[in-house]
Amino acid sequence: MQEPVSGFGIGLRSEHYHDFIAAPQPVDWLEVISENYLVAGGKPLYHLDRIRRDYPMVMHGVSLSIGGSDPLDRLYLQELRSLAERIQPAWISDHLCWTGTSALNLHDLLPLPYTEACLQHLVPRVQQVQETLGRPLVLENVSSYVRYRADEMSEWEFIAELVRRTGCELLLDVNNVYVSSVNHGFVARTFIDAMPAAAVRQIHLAGHEDHGTHLIDTHDHPVCDAVWDLYAYTVDRLGRIPAMIERDDDIPPLESLLAELDRARRIAGTAAGDAKWAA
Amino acid sequence: MSATGTLVELQQRCQQAILDGNALPGLFAGEGSGNGGFGIYLQAYRARLASALQDNYPVLLRAIGDDAFAALANAYITRRPSRFRSIRWFGDCLADFLTCSPEHLPHPSLVDLARMDWAMRAAFDAADAQPLGASELAALHAQDWPQHRFRLLPSLQLLRLDWQVEPIWKALDADPLAGSDEPLFLPHVLLVWRPQLECRWRSAAPLEASVLEALSTGASFAACCDLIADSGDAEPAATAAGFVLRWIADGLLARESPR
Repeated sequence: MQEPVSGFGIGLRSEHYHDFIAAPQPVDWLEVISENYLVAGGKPLYHLDRIRRDYPMVMHGVSLSIGGSDPLDRLYLQELRSLAERIQPAWISDHLCWTGTSALNLHDLLPLPYTEACLQHLVPRVQQVQETLGRPLVLENVSSYVRYRADEMSEWEFIAELVRRTGCELLLDVNNVYVSSVNHGFVARTFIDAMPAAAVRQIHLAGHEDHGTHLIDTHDHPVCDAVWDLYAYTVDRLGRIPAMIERDDDIPPLESLLAELDRARRIAGTAAGDAKWAA
Repeated sequence: MSATGTLVELQQRCQQAILDGNALPGLFAGEGSGNGGFGIYLQAYRARLASALQDNYPVLLRAIGDDAFAALANAYITRRPSRFRSIRWFGDCLADFLTCSPEHLPHPSLVDLARMDWAMRAAFDAADAQPLGASELAALHAQDWPQHRFRLLPSLQLLRLDWQVEPIWKALDADPLAGSDEPLFLPHVLLVWRPQLECRWRSAAPLEASVLEALSTGASFAACCDLIADSGDAEPAATAAGFVLRWIADGLLARESPR
């Protein structure tokens, strides 16, 4: 049964399967990488089903290529829908990006040109996904290291317009906002201010690598102070939206991530005062 | 030009630059100035795919070491860019690639090590099926045996290997630094399957492998007996029954209906 999600979660990784099976953990929900479970059987689905009994889940994909120029992969969408029927996620997210073209997959989250033409390309594709999945698509802003010469608007204007035209929802990755703001020299709070609050369904918090002249979104470090500050600002502006720690490399013991999650709880409690959790 | 047409051109140009390692595709603001930028995507592309190959070929990696594996990965990524939705499947053609490009390996037997790695990975998340138990076999009436079609586990793979690489695979799987003797040239069939959650493997004699291949195409027990008789076996039914008992002990046969 689909359960409402609120509060604080983490991304489920195989390194922590045993922790979640052995004892109750202080997380309100879990995010799973959809592609890790689009397999026929074996341990991945066994552990998914076992842990799903105890925790609400949301699905997070990396292969939709919503902005790609190839047609949407209908088989992939059907598989996503089947997985959703299996684990009844509160929502399904992917990234506002493209991952490859001409039938190749670069397995990266490549930024889109922020143009009117790209918006027109995206709108029917988002609608197609939403019709297939029978629910709003939740899209995440990506970190980026380039800006196209073709850009006609800012990323935040582009995102807000896409939400307005399609009714899609947002996974606001606060770390990605910060990384891109440093790399491209914009004010991160301007991005946060432009987000349509009612559409923001989830927040990601993650770590990155600081290379001095630029930042790389690696998800292999703890969340840094600047991102925590931006998170506090985000809660103040948008309310207490379900938030999670996202870690994909150099996975630490679960206790480390739970400690970071406690920090998120404290910040949200301070920043939002008595503000209600977003439904 | 249509919106999609413009986007196709931009994405094809960007993709080609990533595939070619070209840092200056003429698409980006401030291109070529300063650190970071498009070069991050160029580096990340190859690093990510190489990491996927390491995940899929963990024992081959241990056998040839980081540097040789990195060179091999780089060559494979250039020749076989991913067409998979999920990176989990990247590297499906590595053994064939190595057969055609043996200069990447210090010894030809390592192609078979790659085959074994891939088969183990494939069995890991293959479709589930409940293994057939001895009690269910006992419930099969004697008159039904000839026409009965035993079903194999969906995870079962029969690998035709030229070299006896299993001892090396086993040693390196247990210990990254394990040493080993050069494998024997010994064409044989390796079985890889997953009865429950853990993957298993063992070699199979030629006759057993032939019967398993026949079962995989829907052969009846009687047809299997004929196949065994053709090999010159004087007691084909007894040999076939012996195979079935061993397969049940191995958890290699599936119940009639999937879980």
